[in-house]
Amino acid sequence: MKDSLLPSITRKLLLCAVVVLAWTAVSEAAVSRGFTHLLEAVVRIDVREESFDSGARRFSAGIGSGVIVSDDGLILTNAHVASPRSVELSVTLASLERVNATLVGWDHWTDLALLRIDLAEVKRRGLKFTHADFANSDKLSPGQTVYAVGTPHGLTRTVTRGIISNNRRFFADNRGVRGYETGLFNTWLQTDAAINPGNSGGPLVDEQGRVVGINSRGYLGADNLAFAIPSNIAKRVVAGLTAEGAITRSYIGIVPGALLDLEGFYSLKQNTGLLINSVDPGSPAAKAGLRGGDIVLSINGAPADGRFPEQLPPILNSIASLPVGSPVKLVVKRGEQTTTSVVATEKLESRQGEEWAFEKWGLTVRKVSRAYARENQLDDDTGLLVIGVQPGFPAAVAGMSRGDIITKINRERVASLELAKQMHADFVAKPAPSLFETETDRRVSLYILKP
Amino acid sequence: MMPRLRLFLLPLTLAFGAVCAAAAADLPALFAERAKSVVAVEFFTESELDRRPSITAAFVADASGTLVLPRAAINTFLPPSKLKDFRVYLPGRPVSEYAQGEYLGQDPVSGWHFVRVEEKLRASLVPVTAFASAAGAAEPAIGEEFWGIGLRGKDEDFRPYFMAGRVSHLQEMPERTVVAQTEVAAPGLPVFARDGGFAGVAVGGFGQSFIQYVRNERGQPVMLVNSEESSVFQIAADVTPWLTRIPANPSGRPIAWLGVYGLQPMDPEVATFLKLDQQSGCVVSEVLEGSPAEAAGVKNRDIILAIDGQPLPRFKPDRVVVGFVDRDISQRKPGEAVTLTVLRGTERLELKSTLVEQPKLLREAERTYFERIGFTAREFVYGDGIMRRVKLAGRKGVIANFVKNNSPAGTAGLQPDDWIQEVDGSEVKTYAEAVAKLAAIEADTARTEFVLLTSRGGETAVLRVKLK
Repeated sequence: MKDSLLPSITRKLLLCAVVVLAWTAVSEAAVSRGFTHLLEAVVRIDVREESFDSGARRFSAGIGSGVIVSDDGLILTNAHVASPRSVELSVTLASLERVNATLVGWDHWTDLALLRIDLAEVKRRGLKFTHADFANSDKLSPGQTVYAVGTPHGLTRTVTRGIISNNRRFFADNRGVRGYETGLFNTWLQTDAAINPGNSGGPLVDEQGRVVGINSRGYLGADNLAFAIPSNIAKRVVAGLTAEGAITRSYIGIVPGALLDLEGFYSLKQNTGLLINSVDPGSPAAKAGLRGGDIVLSINGAPADGRFPEQLPPILNSIASLPVGSPVKLVVKRGEQTTTSVVATEKLESRQGEEWAFEKWGLTVRKVSRAYARENQLDDDTGLLVIGVQPGFPAAVAGMSRGDIITKINRERVASLELAKQMHADFVAKPAPSLFETETDRRVSLYILKP
Repeated sequence: MMPRLRLFLLPLTLAFGAVCAAAAADLPALFAERAKSVVAVEFFTESELDRRPSITAAFVADASGTLVLPRAAINTFLPPSKLKDFRVYLPGRPVSEYAQGEYLGQDPVSGWHFVRVEEKLRASLVPVTAFASAAGAAEPAIGEEFWGIGLRGKDEDFRPYFMAGRVSHLQEMPERTVVAQTEVAAPGLPVFARDGGFAGVAVGGFGQSFIQYVRNERGQPVMLVNSEESSVFQIAADVTPWLTRIPANPSGRPIAWLGVYGLQPMDPEVATFLKLDQQSGCVVSEVLEGSPAEAAGVKNRDIILAIDGQPLPRFKPDRVVVGFVDRDISQRKPGEAVTLTVLRGTERLELKSTLVEQPKLLREAERTYFERIGFTAREFVYGDGIMRRVKLAGRKGVIANFVKNNSPAGTAGLQPDDWIQEVDGSEVKTYAEAVAKLAAIEADTARTEFVLLTSRGGETAVLRVKLK
């Protein structure tokens, strides 16, 4: 019996092997075809941008990657590659020809930015490009082979290979994108494909050459721990940026924490509830009386389950995706009490305000935002945060320094950047000593800026 | 330790010494007598886990064994009850012969700490006031020589040694302060004139700027502070009145309080711009809630120009004026009236306020250590409210004053200075309520976990403390 059985098993195994070989051959063919197409759509991006951290407007240059996602020349890249600070964007196509591009919009929360190729120039010079297709990033599984294409350290058109190491990594970084917040509303793809500086904004693709993510960041000093924004998030952001140039999100001011196994303590059923760790002072949630330690049982009727950190971004995103000003019905448990609150959302704002340089004062500033004011327990969002002083200029001579918040100029409250610009224009037109009031770590100082 | 440099310089000093031997003949006698006005003081700071010794120099203030320790000798935030076992050593005597001392408290004006030594040692001590100077209260002249005493380490029986230096310049800070060319005494020890008269008290904390060169690197500016010897002293005429400011109790109370926060000096350019000419001033950053300043109608950003009609003097550097105002208030008693002249916008106002007793200080806050949970709960005091920008009405809970590493509280993520607002999901209003709750948890050996709501940097977090 054994004898007769063996050959039959061998035969079956052989058959399997042949089938597998055949499948591999088909797949490799697909990879090469998909890749050829994909590579035509990957670009190098050279950026010249302005910076305001030295007391004057200065320029710096950087290199990133991008992928063309539409036949009318929309390029997807990272928000930390192209941003409103970019003054010059130049794109190198697969043909190695360079064309100019303009910023359509950016969204630092997902670290994505959208550019548009100068189509007139493309047409005039008779250049060609293709656009990449997206795959469904929800269908990815850990272990699956992926490829990264980009410009690491300026090495144009570099392909590296790896696998999906984790398809639902959670991390949020309050200053992750050039000082702007990121990661709160999405999870990330983690890959061991080599990602180096310059890969930023390039695509992470599957074996068919379809975009599954946009490479964004890696751990410095670690080996092959890199992260990409999933394509399903990217698709939504592309649509939003194309339509409006920005992604508008709703904000209610809760900072959630993972419930882990605190259900017992709060007498909750397993997999129920979102723990509120903190409520931003002055936010809609704070006005509704919510506070740290409260448990949200449902949001607009949908049960909330925030047991693990990975579950938090989708919940926050569901609130963020609501139109600004819309009511959010929260069923909240505090101790034995269960109450229902309805809060109206506000527009989500970054803690990072607009930056500007006042050349004649020798001063660069960032507008104090509502979020920054809350975070630093300031009375309100009045004022300009000094981010640079230029040695030898009036502000430096008077003794002002980085970190001061300018609250008044010539006894007038600096409620907006526009007001300060007007005062600077007056100073330029009619130079005269000006009285500045600043607050630093709650200490108020007065300075005279002399022309 | 004696710096090595000093040893190399010794032959030089001897040669120079021979020249002026005649003039210096009386110095050994003056030195021996004045060494009786200085002592070394050792004490132990008790914490949740250990006892740490500290050693400082001190001088004798009067005939009843009162010793003065410099401000920096003891951390102001430490409750006096944590300071244990004061030991007083005579310079050069075997350290086994020490006497016990009693901590009397810190004077709010001078910042000095006072200790009283037990009877048996008092006969060997001579107060600095016994060494009146022939020159009287005359201001030290440029180039005039002053000398003082330093103390060697405990392993050398705190043997006294001689230092001298000439006056380089005089500054008001706001006390008249001499900066000498070289070190003249250990910080906190007296300085004497050439004739042996008490001339002042050395103060520490002054540094000198150097450029440090490392091979193959550019020079780096560094500041060096000699922590054992000082070349700066406050002159006797300005500090002698403080010798009698012995605190009535270890808390240092009564302490007068006005309630203005974040005083900032007014820049002379600003004074000119505001048409105040040569007037000095102080900007009030914040008026504290419930304070006499608030009751008097002082507002945030008022500029104080005068106290009781006396214009604030102008100092260099400008910031000394802040110390001047602080000192002026601390010299007064609760209940005393004080009139401030302030500038608000372009308006000059006279605001009269009545000083009150300072709210409970950090060092007076009650504390309880929970050994099993692994942290110390401290009463929330007025200063905590200022730091956290909490209105009086919102003040509640306790502060984690100490968190033991790897304890249940430490593992849960509790950090020193975290503000604990809720225990097990319910708000703790007072220190007593928090301690009662925590003590019950600590005592309940069946408890496996509990939950704290804490606040750090204005953001709250729920911490789960696993006891088992």
